[in-house]
Amino acid sequence: MIKKILIANRGEIAIRVIKTCNALGIKSVAVYSDEDVNSKHVKMATESYHIGAASPSQSYLNMEKIVETAINSGADAIHPGYGFLSENADFADLCEKKKLNFIGPSGKSMRLCGDKMLCKAAMSKAQVPTVPGSPGIVEEVEKALDIANKIGYPVLLKSVFGGGGRGIRLVHNEKELRQAFELASGESKAAFGKSALFVEKFLPKIRHIEFQLARDKHGNAVHIFERECSIQRRHQKLIEMSPSPVVDQKTRDEIGQLAVNAAIAVDYENAGTAEFLRLDDGTFYFIEINARLQVEHPVTELVSGLDLVKLQIDIANGEPIPFKQKDLKVNGCAIECRINAEDTFLDFAPSTGKITDVDIPSGPGVRVDTYLYPGSSVSPYYDSLMAKLITWGQNFEESRQRMVLALSDFYIEGVETAIPLYKTILETQEFIKGDLSTDFLDRFKILDRLRDDLKNEASKKADVALAATLIHSEFLKNKITPRKEHSMRWKTQLDRH
Amino acid sequence: MKFKLENTEENLDGEILQSLSNNEFVLKIKGKELNLKILSMTHEKIEFMLDSTYHIAKYLENNTSRITLVADGVKLTFNKHPDLDKIVYKNSGSESAMDSQINLKSQIPGRVVSINVAVGDKIKQGDVVCVLESMKMQVSIKSHKDGAVKSIKIKQGASVAKNDVLAEIE
Amino acid sequence: MHSEKIKKFSHKRREAEQAGGEERIKAQHDKGKLTARERIALLLDEGSFTEIDAFVTHHYYEFDMQNKKFATDGVVTGYGTISGRQVFLFAYDFTVLGGTLSEMGAKKITKVMDHAIRTGCPIIGIIDSGGARIQEGILSLDGFASIFYHNQLASGVVPQITASIGPSAGGAVYSPAMTDFVIMVDKIATMFVTGPEVVKTVLGEEVSFDELGGAISHGKNSGVAHFVAKNEYHCMDLVKSLLSYIPQNNTEEPPHVETGDDPNRLDNNLINIIPENPLQPYDMKEIIHSVVDNHTFFEIHELFAPNVIVGFARLNGKTVGIVANQPMVLAGALDIDSSNKAARFIRFCDCYNIPIITFVDTPGYMPGTNQEHNGIIRHGSKLLYAYCEATVPKITMIIGKAYGGAYIAMASKNLGTDMNYAWPTAQIAVLGSEAAVRIMNRKELETAKDPVALKKQLVDNFTEKFANPYVAASYGTIDSVIDPAETRPALIRALEALANKREKRVPRKHGNINL
Repeated sequence: MIKKILIANRGEIAIRVIKTCNALGIKSVAVYSDEDVNSKHVKMATESYHIGAASPSQSYLNMEKIVETAINSGADAIHPGYGFLSENADFADLCEKKKLNFIGPSGKSMRLCGDKMLCKAAMSKAQVPTVPGSPGIVEEVEKALDIANKIGYPVLLKSVFGGGGRGIRLVHNEKELRQAFELASGESKAAFGKSALFVEKFLPKIRHIEFQLARDKHGNAVHIFERECSIQRRHQKLIEMSPSPVVDQKTRDEIGQLAVNAAIAVDYENAGTAEFLRLDDGTFYFIEINARLQVEHPVTELVSGLDLVKLQIDIANGEPIPFKQKDLKVNGCAIECRINAEDTFLDFAPSTGKITDVDIPSGPGVRVDTYLYPGSSVSPYYDSLMAKLITWGQNFEESRQRMVLALSDFYIEGVETAIPLYKTILETQEFIKGDLSTDFLDRFKILDRLRDDLKNEASKKADVALAATLIHSEFLKNKITPRKEHSMRWKTQLDRH
Repeated sequence: MKFKLENTEENLDGEILQSLSNNEFVLKIKGKELNLKILSMTHEKIEFMLDSTYHIAKYLENNTSRITLVADGVKLTFNKHPDLDKIVYKNSGSESAMDSQINLKSQIPGRVVSINVAVGDKIKQGDVVCVLESMKMQVSIKSHKDGAVKSIKIKQGASVAKNDVLAEIE
Repeated sequence: MHSEKIKKFSHKRREAEQAGGEERIKAQHDKGKLTARERIALLLDEGSFTEIDAFVTHHYYEFDMQNKKFATDGVVTGYGTISGRQVFLFAYDFTVLGGTLSEMGAKKITKVMDHAIRTGCPIIGIIDSGGARIQEGILSLDGFASIFYHNQLASGVVPQITASIGPSAGGAVYSPAMTDFVIMVDKIATMFVTGPEVVKTVLGEEVSFDELGGAISHGKNSGVAHFVAKNEYHCMDLVKSLLSYIPQNNTEEPPHVETGDDPNRLDNNLINIIPENPLQPYDMKEIIHSVVDNHTFFEIHELFAPNVIVGFARLNGKTVGIVANQPMVLAGALDIDSSNKAARFIRFCDCYNIPIITFVDTPGYMPGTNQEHNGIIRHGSKLLYAYCEATVPKITMIIGKAYGGAYIAMASKNLGTDMNYAWPTAQIAVLGSEAAVRIMNRKELETAKDPVALKKQLVDNFTEKFANPYVAASYGTIDSVIDPAETRPALIRALEALANKREKRVPRKHGNINL
């Protein structure tokens, strides 16, 4: 039985895991870098240990230091969160070697899933359909050009070791492919230490639909419904929801089974996600298995009533999954908006700095997972996800309305966020009708609509702002607060020296 | 007093008609009379009742030509002297909230991964000037206007801070 | 009652406000320039301006001048507040007779200057003038002289700031030059003693107004302009910002501002700004930005002599004047212009009770005939004089190199500084190791079998023994070697300790600084 978990992560996911630890009476161990000395997860854990300098390679990616800290603190398990070391097979192996229970799949299974090429091969064997593209890694840019010409532009240039949307570039012609190849190579090397790219056909107007998976050590495997994550930018998810507007129970059963088959095919263990692309005609293509708990897991938790982190810990303890596939039913609808510290109008460039004020929304069906508090900071060293705002409703419309109101109640001061963008998206007819696709932002010129919405909002608040402005100049003139006493020094000054 | 709301290019009229005791004022905005009562006030923030509705405004930036504030969560910028603007900007060129025309500033801290232009290059708005690495991502910094690259202020591998000038574009 | 008299009064007042008339105002606007009153409205707190001498006119009669009488006579004077602080000001009015200065105009200006001196308030002057009013001849010249006289009376008593937003030529330029700070607006302001036409006639040299005496030229080449403003709005912003750092007069401390920046804030990254290779330059401004409150440094003379940095900042809410070498320009060496720039700034700080913080990283003085023939000896001595003369708290932070005469000049202990600190990277020596070895061990190197290896060994020895802060620290010339991360708290603690510093000197009329 796991008694003490070291969380090899930071930010909101570290807090998430600590919360379930608290619920289960398990002690939690937090680790932090120089940058995170004042972070919330450090304050919440049972024990906290400093592990290194701000740069991830010297702290949150430092395997040896983390394992050493686990052993010294007496932890018997490690939860890797998402990102960082969560899909690092070497780390999973190291934990196993040091007799630390790694809450996730085995290193072997990770290698299989993490290597998209091997995974594709395994899927073919299991008769799970995959996206047309390069059969293997493309080492030379000329080979990439070759394949691209064969399958036809536009194509996606992906990093084999990428995750969470990083290392994916859309290119429309040879020139772009050349530029992207160089950049993607560099980025992959910087983040994961190696560069291996492959080419895939870009499919327009597709929906990104993924299935939450769980498989225990006894071979029982289930899927816990799908999530629709089609609203993205630069191939990173912005808004996720469950259930998907285009998945009926029949499709859920069918594709869900494919997802389960995929999990079995790679001998997957613990919680994970099978990602699919769905074409307009209803065809599903398998993309990959993410061998970790995902950012958007709360959406599944709200429509299933489950605590997925608890499920992970139970599986790691060797317990069988306590329900069968037929026991699971989708309840209501949940939507999540990722609140990133990014400037929408500067091509989503990261915005960093101190958070001087924050107002977190609440109410029926409103959940916020965040590390923010007034005085916290968004660091340039780590990713830009500050908070996840999730709403649940008995149906899609109730959930959507709760989200719109919650977004209006969410106030973050100190960095730029996409909150106004989400408000605009959630009020579009297209979103309400469920007409989603990964090119949603461009297809419906959402940024232009956002500009108009912002103008309207500004207009509505003009009177209030003007009133505040008029009073401000009065204040500066010292009319409101008592006028400072004139210094008497000058008047009474005797001759110097 | 005349103001111009930069967000919408709307012109507005406002003035303080009367200063009652007890931090209460009578204002006239867009021709309408309003009663304002201050609940609390500092240099940075004001909480007030405007005709019985609560509002809060935070002052972000204030200089001779404009004031930027967040009113009930919405960020607005007013030009304080819209009539003088066209005279003042005649010789210097106008300023949008993006500040100086010539300086291309970095929006983020990061490390310079590559410099994609050379001094003298003629570029267009949106062209990639350089690539910075920040938060594990590579971010392309694009030119804010059409023009010629007058100078490049950064070197490959250098660290830049938010608001550092990366290049001058004339 | 008295309705006729009231009507006449209203009419005269309107006349005074209209000054040069609709047409001239439109001409001013068409040139992209604001009128004197518009500028005053932008500068002062709303509604705080009280004008005096609005009904002054000239009393001249030659050249048909009696038919060209205007109220205010070309300059608007009065008082008001800027962010609640009382100031006196004058603004030349280009719409009235080209803003030329007359006998009465000069009287108006000296009157407000007198008020300012008596009440201990800063003087702001806005210049937009065609110069002397030729028709008034000697009266106009004498007018300028009396303004210069008052500039001197006020100098070091109350701060004087000049905003140059238009032409200023001939003798007129000397008044701004005598004030403490000059702001010139780019593309609008010009200052020169002799204009382009005369230059062409006498020397045959062709040059434009802007090239000869524009804002950028004076900002970069001559140092006449302390600030180059983008436009008139920016100019007013600069005046307001500048004022926020300095006191009303020489008896007061600068205003204290709550900046909210933790005085104990450490910065572990400071040491990383200095490259391992001492020959590699770095930007001293990075260090300054990290150390001061809210990373806000108000730089002065940014374009002039960039090898030295001067400006205001706050430490724990208190204004400080910062002087620093800039290793990125001329390797931080001192020369004529930088000596002048720093010396003038130090003397201003001393006039107005502003402590001086000096950051040092300099290899020495610039060599060469250019410097020598133009008097680096004279100009360099100004910097030494200024540091010695100043009785405000003086704190020195040696970051890197501090060699020879430049070490002395950059606020070394025996120039009368109060606290001298050094980073572990400091190299305080008479010469750099290489140069020292070349001189001291010349004979050995000449006769050595392997001079390269021997030189390296000797240089390493010298560096180990002398190019560090510990020798100086052992003599008490450096009060302490500190951890760079603690630079900010160290400076703030020193400032607190020295807050009530008082130094007595033997009284004299004034010293004889080598000008």
